[in-house]
Amino acid sequence: MTRRLPLIALAALLAPAAQAQTATAPTPTPTPGGLVVDVEGGISAPMGIAVPPMPTSEVVSTPAGPTDALGRQLADVITGDLKNSGLFKPLPTGQLLNVPFAEATAPNYTGWSAAGATALVQGYVRANGNGTLTVGCYLYDTAQQRELARQGYVLPFGEWRRAAHKCADMVYTRLTGEGPYFDSRVVYVSETGPKGKRVKRLALMDQDGFNGRFLTNGQTIVLTPTLSRDQRRIAYLSYLDKKPTIYVYDIASGRQTKLVTDVSLAFAPRFSPDGRWILFSMAQNGNTDLYRIPSGGGQWQRLTTSPGIDTGGSYSPDGSKIVFESDRSGAQQLYVMNADGSNQQRISFGNGRYATPAWSPRGDLIAFTKIGGGFHVGIMSPTGGGEKMLTDGWQDEAPSWAPNGRVIMFFRSTQGGSGVADLWSVDLTGVNERRLPTPFDGSDPNWGPIRTD
Amino acid sequence: MTAATVPSFDRSRAIEFGASAAIHVALIAGLSLVLLGKPKPPPPPAPMDVTIADDVGLVATAPQNETPPAQSQAPELGKPEDAAPAAPAAEPEPVPVKPAPAPKTAEPAPPKPRPAPVPPPKPAAAARPQPQRPAPAAAPKPQPAKTRPAPSGALAGIVGRTGAGTTPGAASRTPRGSSLGGVMSGLGATPNNSKSSTPKGATMSAAAAMDIGQKIKQQVQPCANRQTNPGPGAERIRVTVRLRINRDGTLASRPTIEGHDGVDGDNARYQRQVDDRAVATFMGCQPLRGLPPDLYDVPNGWSNFLLRYKLPG
Repeated sequence: MTRRLPLIALAALLAPAAQAQTATAPTPTPTPGGLVVDVEGGISAPMGIAVPPMPTSEVVSTPAGPTDALGRQLADVITGDLKNSGLFKPLPTGQLLNVPFAEATAPNYTGWSAAGATALVQGYVRANGNGTLTVGCYLYDTAQQRELARQGYVLPFGEWRRAAHKCADMVYTRLTGEGPYFDSRVVYVSETGPKGKRVKRLALMDQDGFNGRFLTNGQTIVLTPTLSRDQRRIAYLSYLDKKPTIYVYDIASGRQTKLVTDVSLAFAPRFSPDGRWILFSMAQNGNTDLYRIPSGGGQWQRLTTSPGIDTGGSYSPDGSKIVFESDRSGAQQLYVMNADGSNQQRISFGNGRYATPAWSPRGDLIAFTKIGGGFHVGIMSPTGGGEKMLTDGWQDEAPSWAPNGRVIMFFRSTQGGSGVADLWSVDLTGVNERRLPTPFDGSDPNWGPIRTD
Repeated sequence: MTAATVPSFDRSRAIEFGASAAIHVALIAGLSLVLLGKPKPPPPPAPMDVTIADDVGLVATAPQNETPPAQSQAPELGKPEDAAPAAPAAEPEPVPVKPAPAPKTAEPAPPKPRPAPVPPPKPAAAARPQPQRPAPAAAPKPQPAKTRPAPSGALAGIVGRTGAGTTPGAASRTPRGSSLGGVMSGLGATPNNSKSSTPKGATMSAAAAMDIGQKIKQQVQPCANRQTNPGPGAERIRVTVRLRINRDGTLASRPTIEGHDGVDGDNARYQRQVDDRAVATFMGCQPLRGLPPDLYDVPNGWSNFLLRYKLPG
């Protein structure tokens, strides 16, 4: 054990370099006459995985509960994350054996493999004297019978769920090749009350719907919140003082600041990736255009000038481009321009109208709402190619990307007069639609980046 | 009080020490003389190739009792040139030093190609040291033996070292120059002093190769069919894996990734995952069974072959 630690650290350091090497290696010409066996096979199905309860070295009572109970809860949260991704099929609880503490780092490969788990997540939990928790997370491949990854986390008792999300992210990234997304938060509008008298509050929650809290009291309507990349601020539209304009909420202090002042209508804010700017729309003299303003306040700059409504801007991940919607052609379509407003190009040409574009954090896709025979969420490339619809609900709109660009969250309104909306997510491949377990109805989700605090 | 006793104690210790030193010197001198008088030092252990695998999955599969067959003869002599060595950083741990073929010891290298069927002077397995590690079967760790006896066969010299310190997703191979020529002639990168008398009668015909390929494919197909597609575009990647097999059909060393086709900007993120699935395709369905033993280590035999895997679609 002690001898292996430096090895693991070393292997982790070396992995990128070694991978780069394989990436460039061309397929070798087989030895003339040498034996080459071609095999093709596979399924589009979730991978079998086992996440047994994490044992504890010593049962200690903590403010978050006894450590043995925490070990079970950690496994439950990891299981939930992996299952919700749609890419994993965790063994049911009934098939999970309790893992002795010593076995956390010496797994029973054959047993778990026989139970149907291709991958195995084990770990341990330990309460430290200083009010923190140590959680170890190990990922094993039961077919190859080896460890694939490991991480350890030390964090306050109250944040134990983050250890589970971090562990799930490690497992997910290693086994799928996608970036992490479980340890992230979502800001959205929580809705309660009857239609016509809805109470809309700014709310923040973990991506799995837990740890939710309200940031505003609901006395004024709030819409279209967006989380800054550093996750310290939320920009949103508020009807405070009956004049809808853009405010910035400081999460640490809870203070709200009016960002765009002395205008009749400013809306649809979006942070630039570096957090320096907030992109927004503003109606001036009957013409709505895109503007940007320093996120700390200041003088705005106009980016578009065309007649008609230009709105819904979203930055590319490198901040060099902006996708937005405009009805300058007669109906709402998507356009891409440089961040300074130059070189505006239409990218959507399909039947129907396109709205609320969102540029993927990967940069390779743009999600949008397509209007025409209902509202549906779809994706296309930044040049307009490869359009594909992902959802088929009655009214699905306002897509927002997970930090890894693999999952999209949106809100779905029910058919009929009730007008109830809920938050949903869908995989990039159009499968695994699922509703998020928010305590109340929700709309306008905005998915923040992976937490680094 | 102590002042009185200490000097006498020191004195007696000094005497003891002096006597001890004198005896030791005499002993060493005597032993040296005895050794010098010997006409020949005992022969060092027979040279062997050692494969260093980083993490080897299965235990107790190494052919510890096998004698590597003698190298086949080749028209050209000399070892293949190594290309620039891989960056030292690619080695996760120090490679245990292979006992170098001792230049002037018991078995002087014959000047001509070695006659193949010479009865071995003694069971090679007994003489072979197992450097630094217990037998894999006894290893209690999840990651057993990191040291393996050489894969037997004419290719041992070449393949025996390629797996050093690799993981399937991060293969680091020693780039070498004319290794293909070495393979064809049966010459390894290093001499193989084995005197095994394994017959070399059988040869791999095209028909036999096709038959063996079919048999292998049939055996691993069920495991291929269980592999999950990690994401859109991964099905365009075809990965080539080199597999080194023991006579009993088990894996002899960690598979190494030889290369890829179909990797592009959209699916590069899934490359490592496809590598994993290719390896799992074999690992889950080994050992190979029913392959002709006489075609195991002939040139192009099934002791060492390439598996090319891709997801469907």
